[in-house]
Amino acid sequence: MFFIPGPIIAALSFPGVIIHETGHLFFCKLFKLQVYDVCFFQFGNPAGYVVHEETENFTALFFVSLGPFFVNTTLCVIFCSAAFLPVWELKVTDPLAYFFYWLGLSIGMHAFPSTADLSNLWDKAPTLAKKGNPLAIISLPFAALLYVLNLARVVWADLGYGIAVGILGPLALFRALAR
Amino acid sequence: MRQATCHSCGLTTTIRSFYSFQGKTYCEPCVWKASKEAAEKGQPSEYTSLTDNSICARCGAYSGDSKDHAVIGKLPLCATCAPQVVSWPYPQWLKASLAVVLALLLIALSNGRKYFKAGKSLYIGERLVDEKQYAKALPYLEETLKIAPRSDKAVFLAAKAALKIGDVATADKAIQGHNGGYFEDANDSDYLEVKALWDRAIGAADKANKATELAKQGGHDVEAAKLMHDAASAYPEAEGLSEAATQLDAGAAFERKDYDAFLELEQKQWKQYPESGTAAAVASAFACKYAITGNAEFRKQAEDMLKQAEERAKADPKQMENFREYEERIRYRLQSREIIDKPEYDRRFRQGQAAGK
Repeated sequence: MFFIPGPIIAALSFPGVIIHETGHLFFCKLFKLQVYDVCFFQFGNPAGYVVHEETENFTALFFVSLGPFFVNTTLCVIFCSAAFLPVWELKVTDPLAYFFYWLGLSIGMHAFPSTADLSNLWDKAPTLAKKGNPLAIISLPFAALLYVLNLARVVWADLGYGIAVGILGPLALFRALAR
Repeated sequence: MRQATCHSCGLTTTIRSFYSFQGKTYCEPCVWKASKEAAEKGQPSEYTSLTDNSICARCGAYSGDSKDHAVIGKLPLCATCAPQVVSWPYPQWLKASLAVVLALLLIALSNGRKYFKAGKSLYIGERLVDEKQYAKALPYLEETLKIAPRSDKAVFLAAKAALKIGDVATADKAIQGHNGGYFEDANDSDYLEVKALWDRAIGAADKANKATELAKQGGHDVEAAKLMHDAASAYPEAEGLSEAATQLDAGAAFERKDYDAFLELEQKQWKQYPESGTAAAVASAFACKYAITGNAEFRKQAEDMLKQAEERAKADPKQMENFREYEERIRYRLQSREIIDKPEYDRRFRQGQAAGK
């Protein structure tokens, strides 16, 4: 395993940071939460952020916290699908395909929510899960898994996730279409 | 900026430096102390920071001593910040970038249609190869190779499918289309599988070529047939080899003057491949039987088969040319009741032409 400074990784995969923060902003606006500050990208830690008001609405909290994970994952599959066949299966040299693979992987590797996002969710989910709130029940294993994966970023779990989604997603999609 | 005074120590400074604890105002050191004492007595110890409603919580703009900023949610916000906080706009550059990326995605999807088509053919071909439906798989894989001749996967699948149905030429074309037959990983299992198939097919083709050469020389049909049978059993996927072996068997039967076996083998070929050449060969065998027995029924059957051979050759000038050459010799056999092979016929009647079987 080799170490590459965070700002360099963020710079190489900046579209993913921007999409992640746009996801937070989108869900804040959707649930009418006040947004105090937004940084779509910066050379620092964190590479981007959205500061918004706290909410007691768990649905809003769920989507604001985990929304970017689903958005980034979906966009990763879409962009990588446009590039998967020429790059991986057909071995065709098409610059546009390589551009889309970079874009898709960049987006995919920034899918994980931050530990701050997960902490908010983790604080409120157990009580609501006991009361039978389905989103709270779903969010518990999700948050636990993503928390672990987030810690595993030091061993490139985020890049691994992007690659897995960017390859396995389109592969499953195209194999299903070819049936 | 508004000022406040600490309930405990009397410090007076800006409100934002103070905290509210149990309804009273404290500076930071005093609120820690008060909170700690309350906690030790088992009383609530939470405290909150005081906000100065004349200071915008976001940009710090001062509204003046006489009026406050509007409190939105829990925070005072100036007239500039309030609308932004309530509905934070997407920046123009973000919208423009999104539009550009969507446009590029549309271009990629449009440009990628040929890849989707090739990819779909590849997956269908792969599935059919897995199901051992090689003949069905090959057209799909050839379609993929038109777009992706350097795809290892497509090349290996196409070569395998082609070799499994005895189509060495198509396998060769697929392999040569990939960097002139160069593959980076010589230990790849798919590569090794195709190489084993290829080596077997080429070994059989060598034997088949030798058999054909011997047959052309004339008088070596028995040896040629044996070689061709070896080739056919080494590479049974190539039905043509087994067909050629049967043809050489027929030639060998002719050579040893076993005209019953000659007729039987040619009829078998004709049944399996009802073409001009096989029809003419049956006519040739009937002509032999007529020459030996003088039975007019054999002559009639020979004439009938010649008609069928001519009928089937009409569409193809090359076949017609071959038929005319063969017909001439068969008719000589029927008229003279003398059985001679092609080299002898050529020697007698076609001086100057190359000798052959």
